Amino acid sequence: MQQEEIAARLKGIMRKTFDDDGLEVTAETTAADVEAWDSLSHINLILAVERAFDIRLTTREVRAMKNVGDFIGLIGRKTA
Amino acid sequence: MNNTSHGDRSLDYLALVEEARLPASGVAVRLAVTAEFSTPHLVPLLRALAARAGVALEIYEADYDSIEAEILDPGSGLYAFAPRYVAILPAAEKLKAKFYRSEDRAAFAARMVVRFTRLWAALRTSGATVIQGNFVLPSERVFGHFEAKVAESLGAVAARVNAGLAEAARAENHVLLCDVDHIAAEIGRAAWADEALWSLAKLPCRLDHLPHLARAVVGQVLAAEGRMIKCLALDLDNTLWGGVIGDDGLAGIALGEFDEGEAFVAFQHFLKELKNRGIILAVVSKNDRDNALLPFREHPHMVLREEDISVFIANWENKADNIRKLRAALNIGFDAIAFIDDNPVERDLVRRFLPEVVVPEMPEDPALYVRALGAAGLFETASFAEADRERPGQYRVEALRELAKDEFANLEEYLASLDMKIAVERFTPFQVPRIVQLMQRSNQFNLTTQRLGAGAVEALMRDENVLPLTVTLCDKFGDYGLISVVILRFAGAEIEIDSYLMSCRVLKRGVEQFVMNEIFKLASARGVKRVVGKYLRTAKNGMVAGFYENFGFRKDYEWSNGDTAWSLAPADYAPAVVHMAESRVIF
Repeated sequence: MQQEEIAARLKGIMRKTFDDDGLEVTAETTAADVEAWDSLSHINLILAVERAFDIRLTTREVRAMKNVGDFIGLIGRKTA
Repeated sequence: MNNTSHGDRSLDYLALVEEARLPASGVAVRLAVTAEFSTPHLVPLLRALAARAGVALEIYEADYDSIEAEILDPGSGLYAFAPRYVAILPAAEKLKAKFYRSEDRAAFAARMVVRFTRLWAALRTSGATVIQGNFVLPSERVFGHFEAKVAESLGAVAARVNAGLAEAARAENHVLLCDVDHIAAEIGRAAWADEALWSLAKLPCRLDHLPHLARAVVGQVLAAEGRMIKCLALDLDNTLWGGVIGDDGLAGIALGEFDEGEAFVAFQHFLKELKNRGIILAVVSKNDRDNALLPFREHPHMVLREEDISVFIANWENKADNIRKLRAALNIGFDAIAFIDDNPVERDLVRRFLPEVVVPEMPEDPALYVRALGAAGLFETASFAEADRERPGQYRVEALRELAKDEFANLEEYLASLDMKIAVERFTPFQVPRIVQLMQRSNQFNLTTQRLGAGAVEALMRDENVLPLTVTLCDKFGDYGLISVVILRFAGAEIEIDSYLMSCRVLKRGVEQFVMNEIFKLASARGVKRVVGKYLRTAKNGMVAGFYENFGFRKDYEWSNGDTAWSLAPADYAPAVVHMAESRVIF
């Protein structure tokens, strides 16, 4: 799957999870930049991503992600 | 719409999270959630599932792992919140950690049970009902299959804790059990567990399964609030037996020890067990009545017999109309009826015309009927009293009474013929479970709709300004049991009717007239100036909006929401004519 396609789908999932239809993110976006992105919704985001891309993320992978770019890269590796 | 608390709608986690964002409306109920795991993900699910049943949950969420801190401290936020329900949800991971550190493993289970019974005792005086979760039995087994043979192994100890909690809860009227281990086992304990999510976020299970836990907690709250299935309306052909009795005849239907016949026998056994625990069975069938009755009377493999069916409706009218008739005969809400039919067209029709009736999907294969009905989560209850076993029979007798009624020229003559015996007495400890249950179940003939738990009921019995009364009734057809609860409060020169509720099975028997006569006799004897009472309107108690007016009370006030306040001086009360053959009044 192309990075752009993953990024677009991830943005859609984030908009739904954070209940924000106008949300825009870049590779550098972190949880600190998005008001609704807290530890609670982070878990929901991971579940939504796991379901959408049919992958399972490990604790280490989840902990290692620092920004949206990391997330896109991780999804890319897991779906390759 | 109430269908959904019973599992018809989605239990999808993410869908529920979105649903929880919608504003909730309905009756407000206060629930405190205390847990050894992290609850922020659980709370929206509780809200969403309760909202589907028209209950707006107000939730007090205790901090992570602060069960003792909240419940053992009378000054805690939990007590300030004054919840009607307190969920205590422990985590298997915590049990494991404590067990591994424990030096006295032989005493571990007993001590763990005492830990929770202390919490229950602390909550008793608050009047709150406890919803106690148990532990998901651990998958890890250092002894392999030998584990259960070692009394002090983790597996054996955890099982003992769960058994101990269940046993202790049986002795406590104000404690309900939430069998979390059963939920996990139904899903599969390996699929339920999510060790990574526990270490990451202290969640008790995989997020996908969290709605099942939420449904169990909400189901118990709803049941305790009187929102439960009371009657199953059953189709016959291809539901209770295979084939069509009208076409295939008695010998031709599939029922018994061959082919699909076995599945129908198993299904009937399950239904009979439900009946034995107080669920009313009714038949709603498109059939000739004599044909429909034939298997009940003559088929050797029928488990259900004619006397197991409280109301038997077999005709060629549409089923929605017949369910309306059934509802009228039983005097219960549509949302207390579940309609069981193998035919998707009939299910669809009933859903369309009677959206409140619960209509579970039924699988094509009758071998899966029991499982489907079980998985729908229809049969939650917050109490079980021996008297429940009698209920289906009482409803059946009621139908016979209705027939007898036609033989009399007027109602008075009919009532006199019933040979009724009534007793009005103070609450006794032995009646508490039934009192709590009646307060849970009565929606229609209920003036103020207070739902008191056992703790609150026991507190009333000790209050010298309160006269809490029960009414029991029997007649020549049978025993109705405890059918009405009236709570009087002495306040200065007034007697206040604080609660007044009655089972609709005894409408138009003169019970409320008899009781009101007694209330005013008491008022005169005590020399009070007025008897006062309120009618607090709900979606379901319109039946008693004119209750006080009919007794000649004066309306003192009417609120904009339809609630009203009434009063009447003893001298102005005109005693009602009653037809009790025998009465016993013990204040």
